[in-house]
Amino acid sequence: MKARLKTRSLVAVVSAASVALIGFVAVPAHADTRSTVVAIESNTFTSYNNITPDTNIVINGDVQYLTGSPMFYYDDKLNIVPNPTLASWKITKNLPTDFEVTYTIAPGRVWSDGVPITAADLLLSHVTTSSDYSKAAGLGDPAGATGGAFNSVNYGGVYDAHIAGIPTLSANQMSITFKYDSQIPDYLLNGPGIEPMSVHALEELAAGKTSLGTVAEGSAASAKFVSDVTSKNTKALLAMGKVWSNSYNFTTVDSSTNPLLLVNNGAYRLKSVDSSQITLVASSNYNSGPALSGITTLVIKQGIADGSPSAQALANGDADVYQGQPTADAVAQLKAIKTATVLTTSSLAFEHIELRVASSGADTYTGPFAWSGGQKAADLRKAFLLAYPRADIVSKLVQPINPDAVVLGSVINLPGNPEYGHSAAVNGMAAYNAGTQASRTAQALRLVKKYYPTAGSATPIAINLLWGSPGNTRRTSEAALIIAAEAKVGFKVTAPATAGWGGKLTATQYDAHFFIFDQTANPQDAQACGIFQDGGGSNYTGINDPIINHTCELLQKTSLPQATITRYRILMEQAVAKDAFFLGIFQNPNVTAYNSALSGVVPAPLSPSLFWNFWKWHF
Amino acid sequence: MNIRNIFGRRAELVEVDPDADIFNKETEGLSQGQIVRKRFFRHRGAMISLIVLLSLLIFVFSTLGFKIFGIGYGGWWKYKITDIPNLRTQGCSIELPGCPTLDLIPGKNFGLGDHPFGQDDLGRDYFALVMRGAERSVEVMVVIGMVAGFFGIVVGAIAGFYRGVIDASLMRLVDFIITIPTLVIGSVLGYHFGSKGVLFLALFLGLVSWGGLSRLVRGDFLTLREREFVDAARVAGASNRRIIFKHILPNAIGIIIVNVTLIMSGAILLEAALSYLGFGVVPPDVSLGLLISQYQDSFTTRPWLFWYPGMIIIIVALSVNFIGDGLRDAFDPRQRRRISRKDRAAEHQSAAKK
Amino acid sequence: MFAYIGRRIAAMFVILFGSSFLIYNAAAYAGDPTEGLRGSTTPQAHQKLLALIRELHLNVPPPARYFIWLKGIGKFFTGNIDLGLTRDHTPVSTAISNAIPITIRLITLSFILAILIGIGFGIVSALRQYTRFDYAMTFFAFLMYSLPIFWVAVLLKAYLAISFNNFLLDGRIAPIWILSASVVSGFFWAALISGTRQRVIAIFAISGAATSALLALLSVTKWLTHPGLGPIMMLVLGGGIAVGITYISTGLSNKPALRSSLTVVAIGFIVYFPVEYFLKKYASLSTILVMLVVTLAIAIGVSYIFAKIDRRPVVRTSVITSIFVGILFIIDKLMKTWVPYVNTDAIHQRPIPTISQSNNLLPSGNFWFSSLDTVLHLVLPTIALVLITMAGYIRYSRGTMLEVMNQDYIRTARAKGLPERTVIMRHAFRNTLIPITTILVVDTASILGGAIITENVFGWRGMGTQFNLAVHNQDLNLLMGVFLFTASLVIMANLVADLLYSALDPRIRVVGKK
Repeated sequence: MKARLKTRSLVAVVSAASVALIGFVAVPAHADTRSTVVAIESNTFTSYNNITPDTNIVINGDVQYLTGSPMFYYDDKLNIVPNPTLASWKITKNLPTDFEVTYTIAPGRVWSDGVPITAADLLLSHVTTSSDYSKAAGLGDPAGATGGAFNSVNYGGVYDAHIAGIPTLSANQMSITFKYDSQIPDYLLNGPGIEPMSVHALEELAAGKTSLGTVAEGSAASAKFVSDVTSKNTKALLAMGKVWSNSYNFTTVDSSTNPLLLVNNGAYRLKSVDSSQITLVASSNYNSGPALSGITTLVIKQGIADGSPSAQALANGDADVYQGQPTADAVAQLKAIKTATVLTTSSLAFEHIELRVASSGADTYTGPFAWSGGQKAADLRKAFLLAYPRADIVSKLVQPINPDAVVLGSVINLPGNPEYGHSAAVNGMAAYNAGTQASRTAQALRLVKKYYPTAGSATPIAINLLWGSPGNTRRTSEAALIIAAEAKVGFKVTAPATAGWGGKLTATQYDAHFFIFDQTANPQDAQACGIFQDGGGSNYTGINDPIINHTCELLQKTSLPQATITRYRILMEQAVAKDAFFLGIFQNPNVTAYNSALSGVVPAPLSPSLFWNFWKWHF
Repeated sequence: MNIRNIFGRRAELVEVDPDADIFNKETEGLSQGQIVRKRFFRHRGAMISLIVLLSLLIFVFSTLGFKIFGIGYGGWWKYKITDIPNLRTQGCSIELPGCPTLDLIPGKNFGLGDHPFGQDDLGRDYFALVMRGAERSVEVMVVIGMVAGFFGIVVGAIAGFYRGVIDASLMRLVDFIITIPTLVIGSVLGYHFGSKGVLFLALFLGLVSWGGLSRLVRGDFLTLREREFVDAARVAGASNRRIIFKHILPNAIGIIIVNVTLIMSGAILLEAALSYLGFGVVPPDVSLGLLISQYQDSFTTRPWLFWYPGMIIIIVALSVNFIGDGLRDAFDPRQRRRISRKDRAAEHQSAAKK
Repeated sequence: MFAYIGRRIAAMFVILFGSSFLIYNAAAYAGDPTEGLRGSTTPQAHQKLLALIRELHLNVPPPARYFIWLKGIGKFFTGNIDLGLTRDHTPVSTAISNAIPITIRLITLSFILAILIGIGFGIVSALRQYTRFDYAMTFFAFLMYSLPIFWVAVLLKAYLAISFNNFLLDGRIAPIWILSASVVSGFFWAALISGTRQRVIAIFAISGAATSALLALLSVTKWLTHPGLGPIMMLVLGGGIAVGITYISTGLSNKPALRSSLTVVAIGFIVYFPVEYFLKKYASLSTILVMLVVTLAIAIGVSYIFAKIDRRPVVRTSVITSIFVGILFIIDKLMKTWVPYVNTDAIHQRPIPTISQSNNLLPSGNFWFSSLDTVLHLVLPTIALVLITMAGYIRYSRGTMLEVMNQDYIRTARAKGLPERTVIMRHAFRNTLIPITTILVVDTASILGGAIITENVFGWRGMGTQFNLAVHNQDLNLLMGVFLFTASLVIMANLVADLLYSALDPRIRVVGKK
């Protein structure tokens, strides 16, 4: 034992001695302001081209935004902000059947390899958006069985339907004119954009080059692109389509990556990407947008789970910025971090309840809510919506995360929109939010008792409710609240979690669904027509209301003044309220937390939410 | 082919041991069953675990009541899992309503209170949820343990006993079973049969979890079938079935018990993992795994939502393993107690008296 | 023998065909890859849906789709296997081959540690059967076995990362911590060594006091914020290691072994400064490998000088000692890298990370920075993995050891008058290793399949993540890729285990005589 003690103390003495022997290494002067920011993200980067169907995800879009300067962007108030440093535009012809927009690239703008940016770079988006061009140039029918050579998500929209002919370039190649067959609404959103890739790099990649060429070679390639497109050079375009659709799907970037793939015009360039992080560094040739304020290196750590792992990473200083949809407990954890600022905002994704109406002939649903049930079905729908515990859901499940959350009074003009207050007051949805929940439940009970006198003490109406996959904690809790609340007015709701629920939205066995609709832009129809219009891509209720259909046609046909847009939107929503089949519940809360030493972080509702003003960030 | 398994035991010789007397005395005149029981009762960890587990089970299954073959008992707890009472704010901090009322310190608030384990986000009584979750988890555990145990033992025994082609083909079947990832098959089954209830899922999980056990049992059978007592039984005209179940199986029971208990406590965790991925118990039903994965972020803020279900998982898993440990020791013919100084002294004394 | 292996491998292909068909169809029916598009309100949703159906052949029923997939796999026999593309268009083979090194990096250290610690505790616990130590170990093992990993992870991150980093800003250990650590260490050593009551109390007091003294000293000298070993410390630690290894390996009575291993340590002490310089100047992995070779050569040389007869145990002892001395050099170098490392902009005084596998912001090209970075990123996941996997090894090695200790040859060895150390190390321990080895082989295979939840909570991107992604994105090709890899590994491992077992235990034949 003594020996042991001796050894121990000897170790101690010696360790002290050796510490002294090593001496204290001089501490290098610590930089007062850091120039690096680490963001965390739960998804993973899958492609540098985010406009193919499989790569059209938020993180790819974020990387794209950080490395590519656009002609305009959305700010945190949903305004479209032009980027005059890069380009300007004006409507050059404004007739009902002849509508022209001309875009002009500011002189002197260059890609990261030094090649000047020209209007030819905007021509690419015609190739990736116009189905007619794809077919005419022998690139295949994008809507057909084998698809087009450019595997783009942009086919099939407003542009595709209304573009007339190939856009024409000015003699100096700096302007390009797009000609449409009608005054399309949201011509900026529906119009061309600078794509993730430059056309000269695309040409060079298609030619099999593996290193950057000279500026002159780049300009020549750019000119070749213009002639390839205008002369419909099928062979060249097919080769480029292959590059465009596949070559940008890389998930690693290192010294072996073909530099032509990384040619960009944004503030940052991709320095390296591996499975766990994306490193972006300031791009030296950048002159296409606002200058950076001090962050020269930005790292995105990817695949970091939402909730505790993210909160702890922030608390430990492993990350400076985080945005996600954590649970209330994780928000509390974030708020407990002394060095972090937590902001809760509402995203443009909203949860809603929808009832099957099946007034459209194509829908064969025949349950208690079906249009064919006449007044009885209408009363039942109204009763169901009145008894729906929206206030309870918001106060118990959303307000712990976002104290400012409200029960949605409008799903077309969401809160945050200046028109929200007015819309909510007059769109007819207020009827479902009047009084207390108790009074609404009593009102609903009266409606149901007209047809089922035992309602209230018994639950005579069986309702199948579809809502999502197991593992979605919030919706699981919502379902429990709904079952309890609707039982009070005679509905026996069956609402198990259903894996693969998405494919069952059109199945006729379900009477109602609640889930999230995610708005990705803010056009004239606020993307609501897809939900409410007969035949709309997200119309899972089977509604076919002439008023809705008509307002949608108006909103989607031509460009309208703001007041008219608002009027039509309200008209549409009044019809929705009258048909009693759809209610918004809440906006998804978005939580942003960041190192308090970092300034400039202002999250926006639309993607790239966190990064929209990255150039203003600094320590 | 004659690959002896990793746990294959070798033939033993007659014990020659300085301490043999003490042991022999211990087991003198007792039947095998009595010896096992005696040894088991003396295994302190196993006994404590058995008592803890039994009382926990009685507590859990009596809380919310049960119904078997029409005979039901309503349960003594006032809330059901579907009740949604108001969130209790009194006595809780403002940001954290629904805090637990359980108070074990004697005083004014001593006792269970209104919501001993607190309330969940909605206000549902967490005590009721945890108790129902424990019921489900224990059921899953027992079903998986029984199904996997049955198949593991039968397949392993047949393969080890008959050897040859039967063995080779059964072992390839085992290879087939162990290549199937439990999580994948669990999620698939959860998808298709989630609505049929968790026991159905447990049944299928049991069907893919017996690979390892059957390899172990086979290994034991390969060695045991060569032993003298098997030859003796065969000469005495015993049928194969009798030899397998009456003669060999009891000798392999130690390894079987250890593994079945490991499978059982693993089953609770498997269910937790499946629920974590969203494929275990389907809401509105609950299980402990579902509760802890739902409230995994509550760790620092509302720890009671995490601790209570977590604690019950640990208690059940721990006691099952300890009981298994005790049974193994009790069944092992060579396993013996450590000879303490006291024992030896007692032995010397009695020898001296003689 | 070869015929047997051939038959098994042929059987493997049949099994893989069957189970892959089953899994493919099951997973195809279970998931709906178009689900993500249903909540999208963009006008192009329909377009995307069509593209997806086209790309994934969703219009072909799964049993038939399986054969489309199998066609690519069939090219295995022509040498260019085609596992298809993932949902994000990366070749599945690339995704998996990128993930494997990460998983290997994640599990290697924890696997080794779990085995060493698990087997060590298991054996001690068997030797001290039914003592407090045994009960405590059993309890601890089962407790860890039944803990959900994310629970362990949250705790580790809170205390070993966040609090520890905060603590390092100052580096002084609070008295209460010194006290608690001393009590814990006292209990541990007392339980481990055990004996009469007086002895237990004495051990408790001494180890407790020693811990207090050491910690207090570390605190006062701020050693934790400015760590390093230095030549003297190396000599002392090395000496301890030499004695310890000699004791376990050959027994202290083997004088040549003891002298030889101590000499190795002394040589290490003498060349401290040159080696230090060398490691700094030519910092790279190949330098370390060269030095390893030199070290081994020296160790063997030294043992040849000291041992005239029966050289093998002496060589073994000195080689093991020399490897440890080498590790000490590396640790010393990493410790010296510590101060400049924590002061970089990338680390900004918070060295223990909670997420991710490396820090890309570090100045590139500095070998010791990146090595230290790798080590520090491994700290938390390794501890978590060790804690939960160790339990199994404690149980297995305890059980096997108990069984072996009751064998006749152990009794014979004792009867022959061999010292207890020799009986345990040479006769019992070696035989315990036979069954454990085969368990390890099978375990390695299943562990390579990925620690799904561990990778998830620590933000590592290995095989577990691939599996997770496959399940969440309904990515059938990726799922099948992961499945093929793990399934063939498991089958191969079982074959290897069977062969290895018969190789280690000469009494067992692989192929029975007809």
